[in-house]
Amino acid sequence: MEFAEILPYFSEKRFIAELQATTKQGALEELADKFVDSDLIRNRDILIEMLQRRESVGSTGIGHGIAIPHGRTTATAELTVAFGKTSAGIDWNSIDKEPVKLIFLIVAPPSEEKNKYLPMLGTLVEFLSQEKNRERLLNTQTFEEFKQILTD
Amino acid sequence: MIKNQIELLVALQDLDIMLQELDEVMKLGFDMQQEGKEKLEGGRNELIEKINKPLVGLYERLRARYKRAIVPVIDDTCSGCFMKLPTYLITLAQRDQEVITCEGCGRILYWI
Ligand SMILES: [Zn+2]
Repeated sequence: MEFAEILPYFSEKRFIAELQATTKQGALEELADKFVDSDLIRNRDILIEMLQRRESVGSTGIGHGIAIPHGRTTATAELTVAFGKTSAGIDWNSIDKEPVKLIFLIVAPPSEEKNKYLPMLGTLVEFLSQEKNRERLLNTQTFEEFKQILTD
Repeated sequence: MIKNQIELLVALQDLDIMLQELDEVMKLGFDMQQEGKEKLEGGRNELIEKINKPLVGLYERLRARYKRAIVPVIDDTCSGCFMKLPTYLITLAQRDQEVITCEGCGRILYWI
């Protein structure tokens, strides 16, 4: 999957340039609210429950200030992503113990016709493994800039 | 109350999917605690204790037959077999008082 191919799963409605949250739980809730606000999920509690359970298996903080909380839930019909940034950093119990500044929340339905969920997760990990991409994302203020970084 | 039962069933299915896909996800570069899988299995047992036994039975039977036991209703249609749901079922569901199954395929329905 090409980097630019993941772009359609993002939306300005699910883009937070500066998160209010200061904790992992708070950030998960703030991002989950974006799915509820954009009518992708009716029941926020079910989404939060799934995300907490996922974190209990192992942190979704993959190092270098990145967290990619993710999972499939019966409570949604579409594969979608929310993005949030925090300049202060949030403790995510990451592999490298670094505070997290870039958070991508990926939510997928139990099964999708095109099976894009796992490839997308892999593509995002690969994209974020490049330092220049992380640096640029840390400096984004608008969704337009964000889109540009993914398509460059 | 029954609404909670549906929510618990949905949480159970989400957990089962997570268990099935865990190895594939970890290969992508995520870290898993040594006891990660046992934690999920423990959580699964706790969930099951909260759900009525006949419902758990129904869930397990459906899961053995189809890949997914609970499917979302999209545009008043069962997304498991694509049967349009009769109006009375939709009205019933809006009351959130009963666990509703599809008349076409028998899967448990969940209104997103
Ligand atoms: Zn059906």
